[in-house]
Amino acid sequence: MSEEKAKTQGAVQTTGHAWDGDLQEFNNPLPAWWLWAFYGTVLFAVVYWIFYPAWPVGTGYTTGVMNDVTFVDSDGKKMTTHWNTRALLLKEMQEGEEAQLTRKYLDRIDKAGFAEILGDAELMAFTRSYAKGVFGDNCAPCHGAGGTGVIGLFPNLADDDWLWGGTPQDIHQTITHGRYGFMPAFGEALSDQQIDDVADYVLSLSGHDVDGAAAARGQQVFQTEVGGCYYCHTHAATGLKSQGSANLTDRIWTIADVPGARTAEARHAAVRRVIEKGVQRRMPAWSDRLDPAQIKLLTVYVHELGGGQ
Amino acid sequence: MAHAATGSSEQYNYDIIRKFTLMALVWGLLGMSVGVYIASELAWPFLNLDIPQITFGRLRPVHTTLVIFGFGGSALFATSYYVVQRTCQTRLYSDMLATFTFWGWQLAVGLGALSYMLGHTQSREYAEFEWPIDLLIAVVWVAYFWVYVQTLKRRSQPHIYVANWFYMAFILATAILHIFNNLAVPVDLFSMKSYSLFSGVQDAMTQWWYGHNAVGFFLTAAFLGMMYYFVPKQAGRPVYSYRLSIVHFWALSFLYMWVGAHHLHWTALPDWTSTLAATFSIMLLLPSWGGMINGIMTLSGAWEKLRTDPIMLFLITALSFYGMSTFEGPMMSLKSVNALSHYTDWTIGHVHSGALGWVAMVSFGSFYHLIPRLYDTRLYSTRLVYVHFWLATIGILLYITSMWVAGIFQGLMLRSFDEFGSLAYTFVETVAFLHKPYVVRALGGAFFVSGVVVMAYNALMTLRKARVEAAELEAKLAAKMARA
Repeated sequence: MSEEKAKTQGAVQTTGHAWDGDLQEFNNPLPAWWLWAFYGTVLFAVVYWIFYPAWPVGTGYTTGVMNDVTFVDSDGKKMTTHWNTRALLLKEMQEGEEAQLTRKYLDRIDKAGFAEILGDAELMAFTRSYAKGVFGDNCAPCHGAGGTGVIGLFPNLADDDWLWGGTPQDIHQTITHGRYGFMPAFGEALSDQQIDDVADYVLSLSGHDVDGAAAARGQQVFQTEVGGCYYCHTHAATGLKSQGSANLTDRIWTIADVPGARTAEARHAAVRRVIEKGVQRRMPAWSDRLDPAQIKLLTVYVHELGGGQ
Repeated sequence: MAHAATGSSEQYNYDIIRKFTLMALVWGLLGMSVGVYIASELAWPFLNLDIPQITFGRLRPVHTTLVIFGFGGSALFATSYYVVQRTCQTRLYSDMLATFTFWGWQLAVGLGALSYMLGHTQSREYAEFEWPIDLLIAVVWVAYFWVYVQTLKRRSQPHIYVANWFYMAFILATAILHIFNNLAVPVDLFSMKSYSLFSGVQDAMTQWWYGHNAVGFFLTAAFLGMMYYFVPKQAGRPVYSYRLSIVHFWALSFLYMWVGAHHLHWTALPDWTSTLAATFSIMLLLPSWGGMINGIMTLSGAWEKLRTDPIMLFLITALSFYGMSTFEGPMMSLKSVNALSHYTDWTIGHVHSGALGWVAMVSFGSFYHLIPRLYDTRLYSTRLVYVHFWLATIGILLYITSMWVAGIFQGLMLRSFDEFGSLAYTFVETVAFLHKPYVVRALGGAFFVSGVVVMAYNALMTLRKARVEAAELEAKLAAKMARA
């Protein structure tokens, strides 16, 4: 490009200033499309300000014109106000298509007992739809999306075993008030030998192959005042619903990871650890965080996850 | 060019620029690598390794601080000190103060990153520095302001070049933002912990007034200053329109200050505040584009440079991404669009189309122009500049598109209902969906970082070349002297 041409672009001149040797500026006019588009955005803003809350004035603000929102407040009174996001939310929650549909079902759920819900295919379909979200957002973080829990930490809700009872009433009680699962640590109260023996006895209860003599000694500890295990687990070792104590005779494990153990030694060690360290598990009470309808639907949902009683 | 640069080492203070340029590369490499790591943590959470110091929550502010303030900040110090000297034809006001800004700034960035890893944070996005570091930054910034103004005052040119307006606006606005957003009361003199002077929605409002103007003045206005020098310089052509530069400078500076609240749509913020933020964001679109038009049109009539000059390719691509993200921004600030996009990765994608596409690309282009001139030599390899360009561009495209997919689909999932009127997806289902886009994003980031590695290598080899050339020149001179 020649020197002459560099100074002008068509008829446009530079401003005549030069910096750092060759830095110059043409004095082209503002591109017309740019200017008009800018005016367009200003017009958009002005129109927006006319129809919506926009400018603070004193302690209030301009509310906008022709933008009434009518909704029903919590006292059932009809309220009309200018456009605002809170009123819109209330209106949406009352008149929205989805909100109305949900409310129709929720009214039926409210009137129905557990047996009625469990026997009604349509209500069960609604329960699965609605409680899936409640469970997924509140329960799944511990119990897992499918409710299968984590051995040693969070109970499995998808099997047929219920620590605190599996009737809808039991489950409802559990969700509403929470649970505190506790077993004392026997590490100090019993000798190492005794703990080993009890572990063998406990494993024998569910049909595992163990040292018979040790299991017999363990039985003495378990079934007498020495260990006192039967207080909670009962003489039959089938557990006590009121204590949330585990049934030790089935092959379902909630604390000791026996299913995950590959060898007899590992199985023994898993059970031994529970006896030695005890158990402390807490499920929070949900009555303050979920509303009664949600707890009711969740009860039915959890009941159906496992073999509800 | 070479002879001019030789003479300039006394005429201009280049030493401070070399230091800042070098540290920009160091922080850039480090900060972007941390970015790739935390992106990988989101895709494969086991990478948190149960080490508290490297979990996502702590490394995320390390990443943003290193890239914005470490890389971006050092790049701005370097280029602003270069531009102000060359366009004012005067040496930097005080070598000592300038050196103080260098060490103070590096210290603040380094201490900030370390303190986040140790768990100290104000929990204010892009202002996580706790109060002692905030004070250090304030002092450094005042020194920076003073050096800049005094240098401008000593100019041997009657007019102040446009790039300096933008740098000046950036320095002033950043000072105001930094001071007001960080007004806090320390728990005690020997505690890192402090509490904000504001509370509730006012606190949120102050934070996003800061947060968005950090984008506006730190990441936009300042880099426009960079653009206004390096684009016409590299193109060897006059800026397209002086008038446009004035109009869009004032419009941008005025409008930006109003829009921060668009980060708080559909919250406890009053509706009128939301409206103002949304409408001012829309009005900001064309003033933002003014810079892009002025940059790209500067090249009009010399488009063939894009075929032969990879530095120009960097600069013009940066302007294109700038145009795209300053269009996307106002759209996302509309309440109805924001209802979908907010709290999703669309926001992250948007930020990175600006941060990688605009801020980083325009800095790379400027550095490739700057580095050989600082060391009075030529670039070690032009071919490697092309390699860097394509690595960066592919990286950005992977990043942005994966975040569009992640954000838009998560937004749609969160608002879809089933036939019973229940929400169709649980939150965790929408998170599970994000895995694949997250993998692609991490890959995009890896491309981008590898580009920076290529650049660092190229810069180091250029430095080495300069040293060898200087030694040869010395030897030749000595031989000549001996003959004489």
